[in-house]
Amino acid sequence: MLCGIFSSCQKSYESVPLGQQVTLDLAFDPRDSLGKQAMSYLLTTYQQALYSGHNRIGGAYLDAASDDAISSASGIPSVQALATGAYSAAQTNADDMWTRNYTAIRNATVFIVYILRVPMLEKLPDGRPARSAYRSEARWLRAWLYWQLVKRYGGVPLLGDDIRQITDDVQLPRNSFGDCVNYIVSECDDIRDSLRTAAMVNSSSYGRITRGAAMALKSEVLLYAASPLFNGGNIDPSNPLTGYGSHDANRWKLAADAAKAVIDLNEYQLMPKFNDVFTTQASPVGSNTEIICWFQNGSNNSVENANAPVGFSSVGGNGATSPTQNLVEAFPTDSGLAITDPNAHYNPDQPYDHRDPRLDLTVFHNGSLWLNRAVQTYAGGADKPGGSVQQTKTSYYMRKFMGSFESVSANPPTYSATYHDWAYFRLAGVLLNYAEAANEFSGPAADVYNVLYDLRKRAGILSADNTYGVPQGMSQDDMRNFIRKERRLEMAFEEQRYWDIRRWKIAAQVYNSAPLRGLDLQQSSSGQLFYNPTPVLTTVFKDPQMYLYPIPYSEAIKNGQMKQNPQW
Amino acid sequence: MNRIITILLCIAVPRISLAQASVKGTVLDDFGYPLQGVQIHIKGQKTGPVSASDGSFGIAAGAGAVLVFEHSGFNTTEIRAGSAGPLLVRMPARYLRQTAAPDPGARASGDTIYVAYNAVQPINVLYGKAHQQSFLGSISTIGAGELGGTPASSYTYALPGRLAGLDVRQTSGFYTPLTNSLISVDIFVGNIPNNTSGAGPTDNTEFNIRLRGHNASLGQSPIAIVDGVQREFYSLDPESIESVSVLKDPLSTILLGQNSARGALIVTTRQPVAGPPRVEFTAETGVQSAIKIPSPLPAHQYAYLLNEALLNDGKAPAYTAADFAAYRDHTDPIGHPDVNWYKTILRDNARLNRYNLNVTGGGSTARYVVGLNYMDQQGLFVSSGANPYNTNAELKRYVVNSKIDIDVNKDFNVGLQIFGRLQDGNQPGATTSAILQNLMTTPDNAYPVYNPDKSFGGNNNYTQNLMAQTVGSGYMADHVRDVMANLDLNYKFDKWVKGWWGKAKGNVSVQEATNQDRSKQAPVFSQSVAASGDTSYHRYGSTVNQKNDFTNTSWARYRFVQLSTGYDRQFGPHSVSGMVMFDQKNALLNYDIPSALTNYGARASYNYDERYFAEGGLTCSGYDRFAPGHQYGLFYAGGIGWNMAKESWLSSQSRWLDQLKLRVTYGRTGNANVDNYGYFVWRQHFSGVAGTYPIGSNYPNGGGLAEQGNPGSQVLANVNATWERADKLDAGIDVSVLHHRLQLTADYYHERYFDVMQTRGRSIALIGSGYPVENIGIDLYEGAELTLTWQDHAGDLNYFVTANGSLQKSRVIFMDEQYQQYPWNVHTGHPVGQRYGLIADGLFQSGEDAAAAPTIAGYTPHAGDIKYKDLNHDGMIDQFDVAPIGKERPSIYYGLTAGVSYKGIELTVLFQGAANREQYVANSYTDAGFQGQNNGYSQAYLQATGRWIPEAAASAIYPRLTAGGNGYNYAPLFQSSSFFLRNGNYIRIKNVDLGYNLPYTWIRKLKLRGIRVFANAQNLFTHAAYKGIDPEVNFPSYPMQKVINTGVTVKL
Repeated sequence: MLCGIFSSCQKSYESVPLGQQVTLDLAFDPRDSLGKQAMSYLLTTYQQALYSGHNRIGGAYLDAASDDAISSASGIPSVQALATGAYSAAQTNADDMWTRNYTAIRNATVFIVYILRVPMLEKLPDGRPARSAYRSEARWLRAWLYWQLVKRYGGVPLLGDDIRQITDDVQLPRNSFGDCVNYIVSECDDIRDSLRTAAMVNSSSYGRITRGAAMALKSEVLLYAASPLFNGGNIDPSNPLTGYGSHDANRWKLAADAAKAVIDLNEYQLMPKFNDVFTTQASPVGSNTEIICWFQNGSNNSVENANAPVGFSSVGGNGATSPTQNLVEAFPTDSGLAITDPNAHYNPDQPYDHRDPRLDLTVFHNGSLWLNRAVQTYAGGADKPGGSVQQTKTSYYMRKFMGSFESVSANPPTYSATYHDWAYFRLAGVLLNYAEAANEFSGPAADVYNVLYDLRKRAGILSADNTYGVPQGMSQDDMRNFIRKERRLEMAFEEQRYWDIRRWKIAAQVYNSAPLRGLDLQQSSSGQLFYNPTPVLTTVFKDPQMYLYPIPYSEAIKNGQMKQNPQW
Repeated sequence: MNRIITILLCIAVPRISLAQASVKGTVLDDFGYPLQGVQIHIKGQKTGPVSASDGSFGIAAGAGAVLVFEHSGFNTTEIRAGSAGPLLVRMPARYLRQTAAPDPGARASGDTIYVAYNAVQPINVLYGKAHQQSFLGSISTIGAGELGGTPASSYTYALPGRLAGLDVRQTSGFYTPLTNSLISVDIFVGNIPNNTSGAGPTDNTEFNIRLRGHNASLGQSPIAIVDGVQREFYSLDPESIESVSVLKDPLSTILLGQNSARGALIVTTRQPVAGPPRVEFTAETGVQSAIKIPSPLPAHQYAYLLNEALLNDGKAPAYTAADFAAYRDHTDPIGHPDVNWYKTILRDNARLNRYNLNVTGGGSTARYVVGLNYMDQQGLFVSSGANPYNTNAELKRYVVNSKIDIDVNKDFNVGLQIFGRLQDGNQPGATTSAILQNLMTTPDNAYPVYNPDKSFGGNNNYTQNLMAQTVGSGYMADHVRDVMANLDLNYKFDKWVKGWWGKAKGNVSVQEATNQDRSKQAPVFSQSVAASGDTSYHRYGSTVNQKNDFTNTSWARYRFVQLSTGYDRQFGPHSVSGMVMFDQKNALLNYDIPSALTNYGARASYNYDERYFAEGGLTCSGYDRFAPGHQYGLFYAGGIGWNMAKESWLSSQSRWLDQLKLRVTYGRTGNANVDNYGYFVWRQHFSGVAGTYPIGSNYPNGGGLAEQGNPGSQVLANVNATWERADKLDAGIDVSVLHHRLQLTADYYHERYFDVMQTRGRSIALIGSGYPVENIGIDLYEGAELTLTWQDHAGDLNYFVTANGSLQKSRVIFMDEQYQQYPWNVHTGHPVGQRYGLIADGLFQSGEDAAAAPTIAGYTPHAGDIKYKDLNHDGMIDQFDVAPIGKERPSIYYGLTAGVSYKGIELTVLFQGAANREQYVANSYTDAGFQGQNNGYSQAYLQATGRWIPEAAASAIYPRLTAGGNGYNYAPLFQSSSFFLRNGNYIRIKNVDLGYNLPYTWIRKLKLRGIRVFANAQNLFTHAAYKGIDPEVNFPSYPMQKVINTGVTVKL
């Protein structure tokens, strides 16, 4: 009775709040031919799946955990913990992606499953239904997320199209490395023909996953699967989670074919100028014909602000990344010869003269031109002032990815906004994938050489005889080493080197042989410079434990079926 | 409840003998109004008269005889019978609230009987009043005396140390206003409310109030009930409160239904007093000063120690000997500044002004009280005369509280209360919290306050100047408006059925809080002097013009309806009562849909001759924020009591025993804790997210959509969410002896909480979403409380001592913990809130020790680093070496109040403290120092001088210095380290109150009714086992303050 008196008051309100009445039927509306909400859901899925590699690991590039660079930050930056082995299962490293990726995988799966309820009418330019393209984008994102996990942990649990709820058991075992590779590759194969081609992209679909991305992902996955770490050289041969049980040379063929398929699309060409690859929007919206798949990082000065030398007070600049002497020495001379080659005429007192032009586009060294003045990285110079301000630890700063601000007209000099899309895949990388796989499968044939010529020609290396300093008649082993070196230079700071030294199984040697070096650069009162290489960081790699990341400890104990990686 | 008074009045017809009167006079209360019922006798004699309703008395006494005036509500007064004229005797009210009614039979003396007229006020309990004799629950109460002497902005300041079982710890020295908007924009429905708390906004931002160990952070702190209505009002002037009680047992809170497990804080504002108008005006002004702020290193010491830290890390030093000299000698205040920011932007003291006006009175048909209160509390920041507006933190409050109580006829009573509160706060535009944070982290040598050209100093690393933030960043003004109206209708249906009554209560209250952002930002400039001697300035930071943003930060409307009817009757020695009730609390927060908490309750009680008691209550209670079908639950409690002092076999033996009551209550209670953990947690939903992936060649930054909340904080829907439950037992004893001079109350409790909201242990990330809290945990809380009071007088000197102590422990019985490899890794079985971490074993004293010791992956320890125990002896310091750290003894908190009153002078002192307590002292800024900050290093403090160095290895109290953070010594493995546990025991002189009532003979000449001048102090002195920081409030929280306050009360 009492209840009756007051229930009348309640009638004027909803029983659940408005903001949360967005249920599945509204998000994936079976009556919405535009698929408006579903499309914004897909954008969130993109956001969760993809990331920019620029200053990703605690403000540093992942490559600052390889032998190419160190972080300039004070204290113990999280990226340094990766290079010095300061992580464990309980103390996960800053590149750990377990929880993040499984969250994104769930969200991608929700789209993949429920988009089929939405009767979208949109068509692609060639008349195919756009809905299958969108669904394939989500499948690509999911495959990509799995790949990022597999690269780090080996085989991981594959969840398929199930969306689990609180009442479901999720104590799932890991799938083998081989199963994971097969799954990712089959997803790439399945979706490639429903995605947009690069040519179909327009200003409103700029940034969407395309056919090339699916094929390039397949190329990378198969290249890794064929690489020593997983193909017979895995750290625990009896454990299918860590790789294939035995070597199979045919995996190199699969990798070579996958890379060749991308090249044979003829949709992508090398850019004429190296630096434009990183600062130009992709064709057909922009003129960048080389980039295949990227993160939409916008047009801004973020890379310059974080990484440029610290002495330019009109623009700021925090010099977050200190490339190593090791990397600088790896660049050949402008005739393509290694600096150790007696014919290279390398002058240790003018170490930056007559070098591979990519050196100046990859690092700032003392004397580099920037914003109308020479960079000063000698002790006490404008860009290495001493004191407690963050500054280079090696006398180098990272230059790659920045706009061409060597000379600018503004006074005081400033940056203009520059495109900083982060490339996951670009043709140069696919060419190197091809060269590596082809050399491994069938030896250094002419098309392997051609890849190297093309890249070095574009780099601006001089050549009288069109060999660009590439030694002729190399053995398979020589060619392997040559490709690895070229890959390091071409792909520096692009999150390749860190993984390459692992899949080549040379990480123990790279990290443990000697401390990384910088330069103790002193200028005398007469202006003479003294170049003294100096150790800057002792890296540590526990072999073979650290070839794979540990499964986060909490996951290993919560899930009865979860197997930890070897030795963690 | 009123029955007891009625009985006493029946017996207490004063029979006054005026036969041999040679001394006549009038007894007055502290307001100068006649006081009835005072027992008067000549010292040494046992009989005497009782004052009449006009306060008059007459007694046969020779010259020089000493007359003793006694009344249980007033201090005993002695007067030497004078030669001439009628005596005027004014009796001061007792400081402690008297809860024990005198036994009418116990003090029969001669031909007079002790009169209980208005002597003992009933105690305020949930939805009514009760008398201590028949109350079976566990309660602690303080009254106006304790509250009124507290110089503070809210009554919460008066609670620590005064209420047994209630642990009130301060967390901030100043209130924190809301500044965020109450709505956010959703792509589907436009504006949606930002609201997860069903309790609504609280104005308690300064205290953690824990009843019997239940933490506010677990959603288990007591429910505040102000004048019979659930409202989170803590910010009320202590002067305006009549009493605060805390109900701790299951029976006395069972009518709260789904909130009954939490206990209740019953706050009663001043009530009408019948009689001629009593006007009381109090003006007081206090000086607040921070009691503990950190000691920063001067610039030269900072530079020196930073170099040491850098060298320890194998890095190049940052400063040269010339730098040290410049910092030390202050020869270059611009290039080498040395600024003690604490002294620069904080003032030594700040004012607290309060004014209270209280008017009450009325006759037999209507009574009224009107209270007006104004308070102005200033903050600790310096201000600048250049601003036409105030930038300092400030809290101003105006309260009007009026109550009217009308007897329409002898059966029908109507009560109406109107309460209004305006609260105007202010803070610097950069916000108090941001300034305090920067104050903590900015080194003395970071930048000069001002450049020679009067611009604010700064540089690339410090683009905001602390002084600019304090006085040059504009201001933010917040405003809170509350209006509350209570209507009470009481009807006695005695005409139809004797003892039957009915009540209706209605309450509407509205709160609106807004924030006005008039902040701005001033640029900073760095001066550089070229070799040629030319000075140039470079600008850093941006200029932000003064904003004029207005935000509605909170909007709430509450509606409370309560209907009850019951029956109260006495049949000879049998006393029975029963009642049924319905109530519903609707809360409409931030324009959201309202929540409704509905209770259907009943309770019944019986007692035989005030000797044997039995009582029971049950509530069917529903909360509509649970899933349909999961909303209603049944909660019940019962209790029995036995007052042994009433037994003839005992009372005939011992005249000194006034009360010996044993009581036990037991019940199943609930806590609808769901709002603490999310919003409609049972609903699977999608929601809009801002700033998603920019597909498109111009990178549009649109909105997205995500499942179950924002990406990164998604949780699955919990379809089975329900209330937490607690089975509670409370057993107590109340003893009162020697005519109530000694009173003792002791309680033991055993509370088993179950269905406690926790995240499941098996929260596997593979599911791709967070797990919500579910009703999983089982926790046991146990403890004991003791309150002991002695009050007496020696001649004219009245004095009292009251002490309370609480012992509290808890244990996790079940928490769905997953497999742990080693027994010391296990959390189950340890106290709720236990700290876990690595066990430190001192510092490495040599490089060899360090090199040989087990360490954390990737870290090479050095001499001066902390040595950790490798519990599983695997040569690694890792998650398997994490164990409970710190003591697990029950915690103890206590308070002691002592007071004397002599000829108008009153002095009371409150000591308050805690024992068996530990503090974790590892603030990375104040303890470690030199954190990586703005591409440089943060401030360091005096603590850094206690670091390990080879020369003073034995006396080191901190590990060696490192710069830029250190994942080994501080927060190893993101855990705690026992190295930083410190004894947290402390005792404070929490409050001292000294007052003087001017003699009545003087004030009569001024045509006044009373003048009291007083001085009191809060947090006068602290003794803490660990001296480094305040045991309660730590930087960068707003520091706790010492308040010295003086004032005057005038009664008209």
